[in-house]
Amino acid sequence: MIILAIETSCDETSASVLKSTGGRLELLSNVVSSQIDIHKQYGGVVPEVAARHHVQNINPVIMEALETAKIKPQKLSYLAVVSGPGLITSLIVGVEAAKALSVAWQKPLINVNHMYSHIAGNFLSKVEFPAVCLVVSGGHTELVLLKNYSQFKKIGQTVDDAAGEAFDKVAKLLGLGYPGGPAVALKATEFLISNFQFSKISLPRPLINSGDFNFSFSGLKTAVLYTAQKMKKKELEQRTSEICYEFQQAVVDVLVGKTMKAAQKHKVKTVLMAGGVAANKKLRESLRESVEAKGLKFGVPEFRLCTDNAAMVAIAGYYLAKKKRPSRDDWKKVKVNPNWELK
Amino acid sequence: MKYITKSERETLNVAEKFVQRLKGGEVLCLIGDLGSGKTAFTKGLAKGLGVKNIITSPTFVLLKSYTAKLKNINKLVHIDAYRLDSGAELDYIGVEEYFSDKNCITVIEWADRVKDIWPVNAIEIKFKVLKGNKREIHIK
Ligand SMILES: Nc1ncnc2c1ncn2[C@@H]1O[C@H](COP(=O)(O)OP(=O)(O)OP(=O)(O)O)[C@@H](O)[C@H]1O
Ligand SMILES: [Mg+2]
Repeated sequence: MIILAIETSCDETSASVLKSTGGRLELLSNVVSSQIDIHKQYGGVVPEVAARHHVQNINPVIMEALETAKIKPQKLSYLAVVSGPGLITSLIVGVEAAKALSVAWQKPLINVNHMYSHIAGNFLSKVEFPAVCLVVSGGHTELVLLKNYSQFKKIGQTVDDAAGEAFDKVAKLLGLGYPGGPAVALKATEFLISNFQFSKISLPRPLINSGDFNFSFSGLKTAVLYTAQKMKKKELEQRTSEICYEFQQAVVDVLVGKTMKAAQKHKVKTVLMAGGVAANKKLRESLRESVEAKGLKFGVPEFRLCTDNAAMVAIAGYYLAKKKRPSRDDWKKVKVNPNWELK
Repeated sequence: MKYITKSERETLNVAEKFVQRLKGGEVLCLIGDLGSGKTAFTKGLAKGLGVKNIITSPTFVLLKSYTAKLKNINKLVHIDAYRLDSGAELDYIGVEEYFSDKNCITVIEWADRVKDIWPVNAIEIKFKVLKGNKREIHIK
């Protein structure tokens, strides 16, 4: 089976070709045209700019993915595309391109959820089920229980801010740059290096003992705000790295704590991680330690498969195609769905 | 109208009560610093409007829309301009359509960043962080 996947749900225009031979998966190409640098100038995302870049990049990116893979369109078994969740004006570029190609090349189109594709970034190698996956990004924080590669259920989510968003906003509160995740993580490391003691600042671990699998990070953001407000300018400058250290620790404690509780309750064999925040080293290593200490398997996609990319969409498409054979008419049912939540 | 709330719950209550004054078609422009309670207020609105979903912060996705159930109001659109510089960007993703929908309530967090597209009937709501957990909510 050979799949061409397309992803335009947010900032990156991406296309990828995946080949499976007897269940063994091989990525033949994964082309990503990132706009992060462009959006950095604005300190955020600019929908109009994003969409314009997707429109400009979509065809060259698809062609490059096919050329790198040395695959002619006739050789493809299926196409796959992300139709949500995401920014409507960005999603529509990829979805319409995929539909047009589906008709032109007479290849069935597989509809993929962006969050599921993040999880599928873990499926390049075999996974022992049941598994639980912590999906953390700028816009999402979710715990998903997987029965197998394509059957899953969301068992918890943030009730307010996402973890990545909390990092960004804390960076803003402390006057650090955008994107906030790496800036806060870097400061936290500085504190660790220059101090052999624990942070004297103590922030809450919201919902850590709530009994369910939901998260809340807005209270943590507020606690950082109060902490910063109480300090004089000079003191705040001196203790910014200490605040970052404690903040990151609080986020990690909650994410790891709840993921482990979910693992235990649902007697999983494997704990997985996905999404852009999986790039946070402290989080990744803490979760790995806890998981391995319990004798369970741990998995996280390699870094380039953590951020938005079409390779993970292709992998997701592969497992969806195995579950239900796609048909040539399927493109008619594919519609952009900016609010498509995992169930 | 000015309110001082002492907890998130009280802010939710203020919002839930405020819903009684809505007829549909309103655009609520929320202004206030990080952590001042704009999303909390929207959660209260959603409760009052009979929205079943959990309201999460739309900062990263820019816009979330929910099904509402209160008289003629069938939709709550929750927008966040935190990462935007001008209203043109919201125009571009088609918010005009919501502004003119009589069965829809539109809420915009960080609305001061997109003043250029406020409709004439916009309702401004300002949030201030006072001491501790106190918040001032000023509905104009
Ligand atoms: N009286 C209060 N009213 C509202 N929120 C309160 C109050 N007291 C404390 N809080 C806390 O303040 C925080 C408000 O956060 P919220 O995310 O709603 O703010 P926001 O204005 O939406 O911030 P952002 O600019 O990040 O979107 C929550 O953590 C809430 O629990
Ligand atoms: Mg908010």
